[in-house]
Amino acid sequence: MATHTLTTPKQNQTVEDKIQHLRQLYADAPEFAQTALENTLKDLAVTASQPRSRMESAGRTGVRQGTVSELTVIAPLARGGAERLRALLQLRNGNFDDTDRVGTVHDMRFVFLDNDTKLLFATAYDGDWDVYIEDFVAKIPNEMDVLFSCWEGWPGIHNPKVKDFIANHQITAEGWYVAHPDLTVRDVQRVKRVGKAAEEFLDKIA
Amino acid sequence: MLSIEEPAGETLATRSPALETSDIQATVLRPRPKPYCGEYVILRIGNAGQAREMLRRILPHVAPADEWWVPSLPGWLGIAFTFEGLKALGLPQASLDSFPIEFRQGMAARAETLNDFGANAPANWEHPFGTPDAHVALAVYAKSNEDLQKVLDLARKSHHDLQQISVVYRMQFGELPDGRNPFGFKDGLHNPHVEGSGPAGDGTAASTKPGEFVMGYPDERSETAVAPIPEELRRNGTFVAIRKFHMDVAAFRRYLRAQASSPEEEELIAAKMVGRWRSGAPLVLAPDRDDPALGSDGKRNNDFGYADDKKGLKCPFSAHIRRVNPRDALNDDVVAVNLHHFLRRGTNYGPPLPEGVLEDDGAERGGVFLLIGAHLHRQFEFIQSQWVTDGNFISHGTEQDPLIGNNDGDGVFTIPRTPVRRRLHGLPRFVTVRGGEYCFMPGLRALRWIANLGQ
Repeated sequence: MATHTLTTPKQNQTVEDKIQHLRQLYADAPEFAQTALENTLKDLAVTASQPRSRMESAGRTGVRQGTVSELTVIAPLARGGAERLRALLQLRNGNFDDTDRVGTVHDMRFVFLDNDTKLLFATAYDGDWDVYIEDFVAKIPNEMDVLFSCWEGWPGIHNPKVKDFIANHQITAEGWYVAHPDLTVRDVQRVKRVGKAAEEFLDKIA
Repeated sequence: MLSIEEPAGETLATRSPALETSDIQATVLRPRPKPYCGEYVILRIGNAGQAREMLRRILPHVAPADEWWVPSLPGWLGIAFTFEGLKALGLPQASLDSFPIEFRQGMAARAETLNDFGANAPANWEHPFGTPDAHVALAVYAKSNEDLQKVLDLARKSHHDLQQISVVYRMQFGELPDGRNPFGFKDGLHNPHVEGSGPAGDGTAASTKPGEFVMGYPDERSETAVAPIPEELRRNGTFVAIRKFHMDVAAFRRYLRAQASSPEEEELIAAKMVGRWRSGAPLVLAPDRDDPALGSDGKRNNDFGYADDKKGLKCPFSAHIRRVNPRDALNDDVVAVNLHHFLRRGTNYGPPLPEGVLEDDGAERGGVFLLIGAHLHRQFEFIQSQWVTDGNFISHGTEQDPLIGNNDGDGVFTIPRTPVRRRLHGLPRFVTVRGGEYCFMPGLRALRWIANLGQ
């Protein structure tokens, strides 16, 4: 600990407090968990003092790292909503390629919870979604309504209350790892294209 | 009341009602006169009663859009109010609360959304921009200085004896020789055509629904504004984002000189940054050399799209006009560009920098733009935050607009080219924001409604 010259004494104290608190909490955990904590504490303390990227607010709710934001919504399913959504997903057969058109979605997932009574929808995307909501309404209203009408109380994408619906059911992630917070979906496409061309070029001149 | 034209064969269902051009301020719908000169004046209100008295006096002189071609004055006067100004006028709290949040916060407070940082940060703006003292904005246009003084005199008489109304800002503006902007480019060539506002000026661009630019009519989402309240206040009104820009002409010339090996190449690089040649000819129609006849032909210089330029080889994706008005370039994306237009009323100010001069002379020169739209957030704010100060929408990462982006000596500009693209580096900040405000520009009846408050 004495060799951590990068951190100020005040920061060290906060980390120490947190470690003590953690140890107290883990005193009630299974023994393998306590062992695991002791084994990882040294690395954790280093991590705590110098994170590569920090989480910031993504707007009304949700968090953001660099250029990527997360949106996690859990909402009750409407009557028949689970069956409808499941049938839609089965028709798609895992193919969501048409989402490429949006251009800013890194990933999204649909997870049925609690015996098909709730749906978790989670996505990571670039920029701000509410800046583009009117564009989604204009260009892909059917795609949004056919999916999200599975939720109880979904007002329909044309209803101005739709932003409130999402915000009211959105839960901010408290922990989130992003491998490349500085790369948008379009950046990745561009980097892939340039990388491929560079590899071909190197092959040619080798 | 509304006059609804019904030419043979058309029905009400297919057309928006014609605009009440007698009630909409001329500044909203009409281009600047040619030639033009004028003044912008900002007033501070210290007393609501006096402010309303001033408004009563100035009302008969505010130019409506239908008198544009035969004005009753030797010039045109437009008037608008910041949120602080509406508060100072004593608007009812329910009205004040009904304005959209971005207007209530004001442009300076929206700096994070607008990416106004560094030299563009509100802390660096000229007083009173960005302060609670900017209340009333007047725009006075005329064709000659003699006429201008007559209209200014009328404006002055509306408040000169009212102790609690003070002038907190004044600046003159005027057309440069050749009608070019300080960078030497023909400017103000394009604006969306507002359906129902009069004959279309240019090319093939479809009309835009009037509610995009004036409240009280259906917009591109087929919605009609329901705020601010009451209806008398909002009908025929709109929002104006005022942006005063300083243009560093010397830096622009030096940069071109450094990047090019000939005067012809300088012209090409300049055109690539703007998207048009200096004459106004668009790159898409004249990719290799300027075509001054095309540039000055109002029927042809806007008659283009980007369908034949999908690789940006004629007009770079990052060029200024392609960014602020993508036309059909984003048709494959989930973006509805018809929701993101504004009307642009720009005037230049300051003396020209003499030909060939590469060192700044310290003079203040540039342009003041009134960016007009009924929805600040999805019009001005959207374009500024998504298309000007970011490049992700065109897969250009964080590359910004080469002219008005936040380039601080580290700016990048990509020029698509075969076999290898050219990428310029080290772009400085050519254009700096000197100040700005969000204003509400009411219709003429609404001005009377405001003037009659408290009676």
